[in-house]
Amino acid sequence: MVGPIYIIVIALGIAFTLGLLGKASKSAGWVFVLAGLAAMTFISAQWLVALLEGSIQGIQIFTAGYKPPYSISLQMGLEEAILTTLINSLGLLSLLYLGKEMVQKGVEILMVFMVFIMSMNVTIMTRDIFNLFVFLEIETIALSGLILLIGRKTAFQAGIKYLIISGIASGLLLIGIILAYSHVGTLDINGIASANNGLFRIAPIAGFLILISFIIELKPFPANGWGIDVYSASHPGIGALISGASATTGLYLLYKVLPVAGEEYLYFITLIGAITFIGSNLTGTAQSQPNRLLGYSSIGQVGLVTMILGLQPILGDRTLYLAFTIIISHYAAKAGLFWISGMVNSSSIKDWSILRKKPLLLVLFGAFILALIGFPPFPSFNGKWEILMKLGESNQYHWIAVILAGSFIEAIYLIKWLGYAIKLDEPVENQSNFHLTKQIPVWIMGLVLFGMGYYLNPFTHYAEAINYIPLLFALLLFAIDFLPVSIKNTITIAGLAYYFMLLWPAVEGDLLRQIFLVMFLGGGILTLLAGYSKKGKRPGFYSMAILMYAGLAGLLTAKGMYDFFFSWEVMTAGSYFLIIRGKRSLPHAYSYMLFSIGGAYLILGGFAIAAASLNGTSLSALSMVTVLPTWVYALIAVGFMTKTASLGLHIWLPGAHGEAESDVSPMVSAILLKAGVFGLLLLFISIGATNPHSQEIWYVLGWIGAITTLMGNMSAAFQEDAKRLLAYSSIAQLGYILFAFSMMTHIGWLAGFTYTINHFLFKAILFLIIGAIVVKLGTHNMYEMGGMIKKMPFSFIAVLISIIVIGGIPPLSGFAGKWLFYNAILEKGWYFQGALIFFAGIIAFLYLFKLIFSVFLGQVKDNHRNMKEISAWVLIPSYILIIGIMLFSAFPKDVLTPISEMIMPYFTSETLVWDGTKAMTSMGYWDGSTIMIVVGTAFMLLLGWLIVLSAKAQKVEQFNIVYAAERPFRPETTHVSHNIYAGYKKAIGFLVSPVITVFWDQASTFVLDFAGWIRRIYSGSIQNYAIHVIFYIVVFYLISLGGL
Amino acid sequence: MDYSISKFLFTLLGLFIVLNWGMLMSSTMRRINARVSGRIGIPWYQPWIDLVKLYSMRSQLSHGTMFYLGPVFRLMGGVGLFLFMPMIYGSQYFMNYSFSGDLILILYFQFFGMLGMALGAGEGGHPYSAIGISRGLSQFTTIEVPMTLAVISLAIQYHTFSISDIVAAQQGSILNWTVFTNPLATIAAMLSLLGAFGHSPFNLVRAPNEIPLGPPTEYHGSFLGVLRTNGAILHVTEAALFMNLFFGGATSWIELIIKTFFIYFWSVFVGTVFPRFRIEQSVVWFLKWPTIIGIFSIILFM
Repeated sequence: MVGPIYIIVIALGIAFTLGLLGKASKSAGWVFVLAGLAAMTFISAQWLVALLEGSIQGIQIFTAGYKPPYSISLQMGLEEAILTTLINSLGLLSLLYLGKEMVQKGVEILMVFMVFIMSMNVTIMTRDIFNLFVFLEIETIALSGLILLIGRKTAFQAGIKYLIISGIASGLLLIGIILAYSHVGTLDINGIASANNGLFRIAPIAGFLILISFIIELKPFPANGWGIDVYSASHPGIGALISGASATTGLYLLYKVLPVAGEEYLYFITLIGAITFIGSNLTGTAQSQPNRLLGYSSIGQVGLVTMILGLQPILGDRTLYLAFTIIISHYAAKAGLFWISGMVNSSSIKDWSILRKKPLLLVLFGAFILALIGFPPFPSFNGKWEILMKLGESNQYHWIAVILAGSFIEAIYLIKWLGYAIKLDEPVENQSNFHLTKQIPVWIMGLVLFGMGYYLNPFTHYAEAINYIPLLFALLLFAIDFLPVSIKNTITIAGLAYYFMLLWPAVEGDLLRQIFLVMFLGGGILTLLAGYSKKGKRPGFYSMAILMYAGLAGLLTAKGMYDFFFSWEVMTAGSYFLIIRGKRSLPHAYSYMLFSIGGAYLILGGFAIAAASLNGTSLSALSMVTVLPTWVYALIAVGFMTKTASLGLHIWLPGAHGEAESDVSPMVSAILLKAGVFGLLLLFISIGATNPHSQEIWYVLGWIGAITTLMGNMSAAFQEDAKRLLAYSSIAQLGYILFAFSMMTHIGWLAGFTYTINHFLFKAILFLIIGAIVVKLGTHNMYEMGGMIKKMPFSFIAVLISIIVIGGIPPLSGFAGKWLFYNAILEKGWYFQGALIFFAGIIAFLYLFKLIFSVFLGQVKDNHRNMKEISAWVLIPSYILIIGIMLFSAFPKDVLTPISEMIMPYFTSETLVWDGTKAMTSMGYWDGSTIMIVVGTAFMLLLGWLIVLSAKAQKVEQFNIVYAAERPFRPETTHVSHNIYAGYKKAIGFLVSPVITVFWDQASTFVLDFAGWIRRIYSGSIQNYAIHVIFYIVVFYLISLGGL
Repeated sequence: MDYSISKFLFTLLGLFIVLNWGMLMSSTMRRINARVSGRIGIPWYQPWIDLVKLYSMRSQLSHGTMFYLGPVFRLMGGVGLFLFMPMIYGSQYFMNYSFSGDLILILYFQFFGMLGMALGAGEGGHPYSAIGISRGLSQFTTIEVPMTLAVISLAIQYHTFSISDIVAAQQGSILNWTVFTNPLATIAAMLSLLGAFGHSPFNLVRAPNEIPLGPPTEYHGSFLGVLRTNGAILHVTEAALFMNLFFGGATSWIELIIKTFFIYFWSVFVGTVFPRFRIEQSVVWFLKWPTIIGIFSIILFM
């Protein structure tokens, strides 16, 4: 085992030797330093491995053979081994990345670089506070040197700012050390900490000064303008070092000196972290320069870890592990992002679309972003989960709110950036440089990120149940992305089919999950069939589709809250990447993602509060919540309602579904929305119908459902875009479903299931067919279509059957839903909500007629005269679904009876009674099969009669019409479709004026304006920054010690 | 459930009676209308002449399958309503096939004919058809609001959706009729009826002097004959629905004829007195007083 002292020896030795090399052999110097860093990494990694294996104990060494204070005491334990490994390996990769720039600048900078890395190693290992001060000074000077030596023009100023602020911090630190020494008589960190449990009781000022100086180094918001300037002015390679190494070290030093100051400061540390986490991220939202943005994000993440350190009393012995999950995600992601930023080399995040030329980098970029926000399978996901659960167990709800709010705000700008890279046009001018030596470090960081996600999972006991196979399958599909669509489509369908068969036994006997499994994976296979009509390679499509379906299937197999939430996030990520593929999807995918993340965090908050009163985090335990149950239920319900697009949370849906690709729309509409429904069902079941804490929630949800339905249907009627019309229709249908389940009665739930199944069937058909027609005709606008019935008869029949179901017209299965609704509403006594629902149901006819009439009937446009039927690959799945509708319509009993039995235990209310094919309640009766027979017979008789009467009817062209005493000569002028309900709009169109969209728009404008307003304190002037820091110190002093 | 031939034949007989009564009623109403405006009006047998003429027209043009099926759907809508409606209370033969479904089936089966008609007319490709349909649908959405409220009120009152049971509950005395036991629901429904029957002031859908005929513009000959047949059946059946729900039902054909006459006359009477609404006016009208009355009819029974 090579002693840790050799890390310092090698570094110093190389730094001095470089001076001898002279300027002649720049490249040789670079290789030399590289080798040195490799050796340093090896030494620390070697310790790390041995310590992890447990084959060795941590050691403490004293230089020069004396005891402290005459020597320096260095410690190499697990913490030090981890951190030095991180620092040294990052140094190694950074040097590789910076290769060319470094070599050009000469050996001096290599020396500075080496000293910088070395000083961080020492500050981590040392246990002597004065020694810590000395090497902190060395680190500061070295870092300033690095910033100055390779940077832009502004780097000079930034370096000076850094020096000045660090000077203030070091001055205070030194005074603090002197005071501490005079009181305690030792410089050993452990010694000071163990004397009277820190300095708080014996020398509060000393402890305060030591602590504050380390905090200032961490760039706390708002006294961090200088820090932001450093990030934005430095070379991205140096930015990666500051963010990945320097900040990590700083956090560890804070952790190390906390006992010195005393645990009385912990609350203030948490507070500082919280303010920084929220404030820095908030300010970042208005930022568009990549490096500066990364700076805000880095400072925010450091704030989060500071919070975690301050929460030690709550997190207990998990503190360091939890802090590490965040640090390692941040370390890998931020280094990777800074490096990519260096390659893209642009001052605007809008130019990152250039990354599309390098798919692997783009994928890693996405992974880095998601890791920062805290998506699975990255370590930060586990970390945040456990922190929140622990906070919940200790009733620390305000900290839960802070962490979730900060994470959400961070997502605002990170997701925007990701969207720009995926979607915006490539920049006209670019100075990007994707040299291989620059890419390799990024790949390695990507590996580190994924590897740590996998490696750290066993350390979280919740995470045992996670199934990685679907995720690997997604990875495999990415690997074969170069193959044509047909092959990948077949593989994906086979994968889904296999997974379906694999999961079926697992849900055996659980009808609820069987129904949703059929919808999720069965529906997935059907919608994928339509993919055969696509040409080309569809890069990335199949991995993301699998990701979404894996998430959906994971929801069904989840046993606990953790695996449920894990799957929920996987599904969200996958669906985001699917939605953003549409041509004009950028803003819509963005709002989808923000609402999804916001909703997910509400669910997480609900789970966390639930954890306070639950023993374990099993899903079924939700009924036993005793602490704030109404809040728990409401938070989780609202979280799910972001996915079901209930009123107020719906504004993402029309764009996201309307602009998505033709086969993605049915996936996200017919299938994905049901995930929210499934979540709500699980929640409702576990709460139980008679739970006294949820009655108000259901009442409110019922009203929300009813109003959602009305607004959805009315908005649909005023759409000109065929797919948006369908999207609004989805909002309305989900309103029905929310309403039905909120009734919490037996018949209400039967109505809910009928609507859920029906919506799955008809919305998949409609989106498949209308989507294909939109592509074929080259327009979304219905008034630019018309008369397609003769060109596309099969499409017409499918759409006709679907709209009969939506309208609830007997004899098809939609009527079953309406009939059950009436009975349920009367039983429940929700008369006015019910009346709204029925009013909405009739308004549905407006958009249903508009859809089928504008597309299929009326006059054909000249440019569509030679249209043919849409692809059979779209019609096949549609007609399979139609078979489903027909079976459900003819044999409703066979579907409803098992569901009835399933929900029997949950409710004491009235049930549906069957007499043969006749369904009965205490209120009424309905015999689906007889109606089918009566209507069928009568219809055939009447048809026969008309055929007898007009057998010789002569077929004429549609355009063969006369009006206003002349024969029109242009079909365009005779197809009445645009703004067809003008009168209606004039009368009650004000009901759907977009107040909610305006509300969210103003909310986002407010956030951005507020962020812009805060940013005004960052004047760029060092005098101001210095004053900020002084003020910060004074304020912190007043609130922490002022009362003494 | 009775699927026998005799049941079928009696139902057919009932349909025949309803059809003829419907035609007689329409000519009577047109005569009344004419007298009000100082004309003599058509002879009482005019509808039969029209029907024979239409069915025997030789020129027949079809714009396509949906156009051809439109009238069939429309007639099926009227006949279906008849089939699912108990016509004569207590009669073994004229309860029709009402055992298949209750009031809700009737409410939703109305859409069957409307949708088919709208689609058929749509394929006709005439702009007047589309304009008429868009107005008709717009107006219909709010016509149904007071009606729905009244139905809910009735369902709370009688605790059933079965029309036969509702009629049964009104037997015994004239004071048992819903019009006396639940006057607010009756008022709301009768105001809604004005829209459903499509006379002035709610006849913009067909708007004879603006977009001649509305949805059926392109229909002629036997197609139009089928539509006329349906019109006669539909008016009587719908009036019978209101009769069953609010006016004690009928125990004989005579009673049915008298009651449906007055129910239908109510809409003609209003139509003669009031001029036509524009579509945005009629849409809003139903959401005002009729809806408020409907809401109160529920509150009274809550």
